[in-house]
Amino acid sequence: MAEVTLKNIKKVYPIGDTEKKQRKALKKSKEENPESNKANLQITDEGVVAVQEFSLDIKDKEFVVLVGPSGCGKSTTLRMVAGLEEITSGELYIDGNLVNSVEPKDRDIAMVFQTYALYPHMTVRDNMAYSLKIKKLPKEEIEAKVNEAAEILDITQYLDRKPKALSGGQRQRVAIGRAIVRDPKVLLMDEPLSNLDAKLRNQMRSEIIKLRQRINTTFIYVTHDQTEAMTLGDRIVVMKDGFIQQIGTPQEVYDHPSNLFVSGFIGTPQMNYFDAKLEVENGKYVVNTDGYKVVLSEEKQVRLKEKDVKPQDVTLGVRPDHIVLSENGLKGKVDVSELMGPSCHLHMTVDGKDVIAIVPTEGKKVDYVNKEVDFGFNGNVCHIFSKEDEKNLEY
Amino acid sequence: MNSNANRNAKIKLFISRFVVYAILIFLAFLCLFFFWLMFVNSTRSNAQLQSGFALFPKENFLKNFYNAWHDGTIDIPTGMKNSFIVAICSALLTTYFSALTAYGTYVYNFRFKKAVHLFILAIMMIPSQVSAVGFIQLAFKFHLTNKLWLLIVPSIAAPAVYFYMRQYLQATLPLEMVEAARIDGSNEFRIFNQIVLPIMKPAMAVQMIFSFVGSWNNYFMPSLLLNDAKKKTVPVMIGTLRSADFTKFDMGKVYMLMLMAILPVMVIYIILSKSIIKGVTSGSVKG
Repeated sequence: MAEVTLKNIKKVYPIGDTEKKQRKALKKSKEENPESNKANLQITDEGVVAVQEFSLDIKDKEFVVLVGPSGCGKSTTLRMVAGLEEITSGELYIDGNLVNSVEPKDRDIAMVFQTYALYPHMTVRDNMAYSLKIKKLPKEEIEAKVNEAAEILDITQYLDRKPKALSGGQRQRVAIGRAIVRDPKVLLMDEPLSNLDAKLRNQMRSEIIKLRQRINTTFIYVTHDQTEAMTLGDRIVVMKDGFIQQIGTPQEVYDHPSNLFVSGFIGTPQMNYFDAKLEVENGKYVVNTDGYKVVLSEEKQVRLKEKDVKPQDVTLGVRPDHIVLSENGLKGKVDVSELMGPSCHLHMTVDGKDVIAIVPTEGKKVDYVNKEVDFGFNGNVCHIFSKEDEKNLEY
Repeated sequence: MNSNANRNAKIKLFISRFVVYAILIFLAFLCLFFFWLMFVNSTRSNAQLQSGFALFPKENFLKNFYNAWHDGTIDIPTGMKNSFIVAICSALLTTYFSALTAYGTYVYNFRFKKAVHLFILAIMMIPSQVSAVGFIQLAFKFHLTNKLWLLIVPSIAAPAVYFYMRQYLQATLPLEMVEAARIDGSNEFRIFNQIVLPIMKPAMAVQMIFSFVGSWNNYFMPSLLLNDAKKKTVPVMIGTLRSADFTKFDMGKVYMLMLMAILPVMVIYIILSKSIIKGVTSGSVKG
């Protein structure tokens, strides 16, 4: 139970032979083609930059999820909080104390690894009791704590087994048990569900939600799975190339993505994008997609006016579940139709681009494949991104 | 047609199995025959041995044993004790410190880590006989001959054992386990002793067998460094016996000594081979 504050955290790895070669190749390609935009910002003179300008205040008992694609620096950030990676610059506070150079064992944190990292030669009981034995707690207290944690995680019957005699889900429970048995100030989880199959992952996700209600500590959770991020987190931190892209509640991030990357990363199926023009007609902002005009909602009008956004070419984003089939609108040819039960995912081609629409089936069987359909969307679900810097023009 | 094909397949299988088993039996025979001969010869008197080759044991086993154990020129019980001290200490220390070094270069990141690794491997290419000359000169200059620890300490630095341990660690030890132990509050030595060593048990057992056998059978260094009869190891004693006065020469006794010399090696192998279990780390991480 503690606050965690990260101030301008930066992590730079020393440059290795592979990176040197990459840099050379990049320089060469730039010399040959100065227009090329293939710059890899991650490799600088200092070294390979994994995380930069990372500032975040995590409140006591908050559940924060770091989410992003592979190599975005989320695990590195978590490992810096754990003390397993040195912080190149910046300050890290746990419970108000600067812990930049404090050993992991003295930070009073616990961590669950993606690969479980259980000690194979010890029984489940010994695995869970290991940290308490090091602390030299009395035997009875250790026993009581292990039993309590085992009960919470429903692994009491496996206490005398070795990890190899357990299934993946059970092993992950033991790993969580090993972490919670210490009553840590901060519980760090590094993609704990990635190695489980889809069914077990769903089950464990709800277990983690229940666990959180029971143990009441500060959680920092790393995942690349946006569903986990949306369902578990009080707040989500979306990362890309070592930079924070957006911090917000799952609803905020979903409804008001700050840029094109966040809008595409959060939400499945992915958001659809159209080349459009932002115009002003009769004092109102209108998006024009290939002649199909949609007047933006009042709140969007206010936000755009406040920022004094000028008419321009934009990227229009619309989530698949906000697309409705209509009589007049954009035209698309349905290539594939996936029946999902209550709804149907239509994969269409519109001007050579793929567009996905989620259409409710309402119990009727309609064959859309190879047919041309008209579709549209309302002004309140349009996300307008700048063509220049890919930022959401509303914010 | 079908039954014909089936019969042909069966015949092929039989022939291939026959060939494989024949080769295996021949190899097993090659390995075991000489042990059997040694045992048979240790049951024969010198006269019987002079008369030629025999396949079956004779009646002089106990007599040869008595003669060997109570030989006036060599003190076999002391030799056995010395050999045990050197071999067990070498085996334990070599495997422990090689594992520790391998752990160091595998888990920690430090400057010149690669260079250190390559340097250790480069030492493997130098024959021990080459470095022995300087070492023996050094031992004589410092008056360190006839000391058993002089045979133990240099054997600790074993690049081949280090290399084997490092390869084993790379294959079996996930770094997350070390990190988990660090977060659990363990210090670095404790992690090595309580988490890493148990995982390395199979590799330790294999290398302990090799180190023990190597040290037990070592004749070259002990023969140069040990002159005192009270400090000699078994191979040196057997060597002394072979070069003894030919009028007293008893081949039965020599064979008995050889049998006595290989027995501890066999016992150690039987004990340690139990620890060579595959998949000791299964279950630690996803697999």
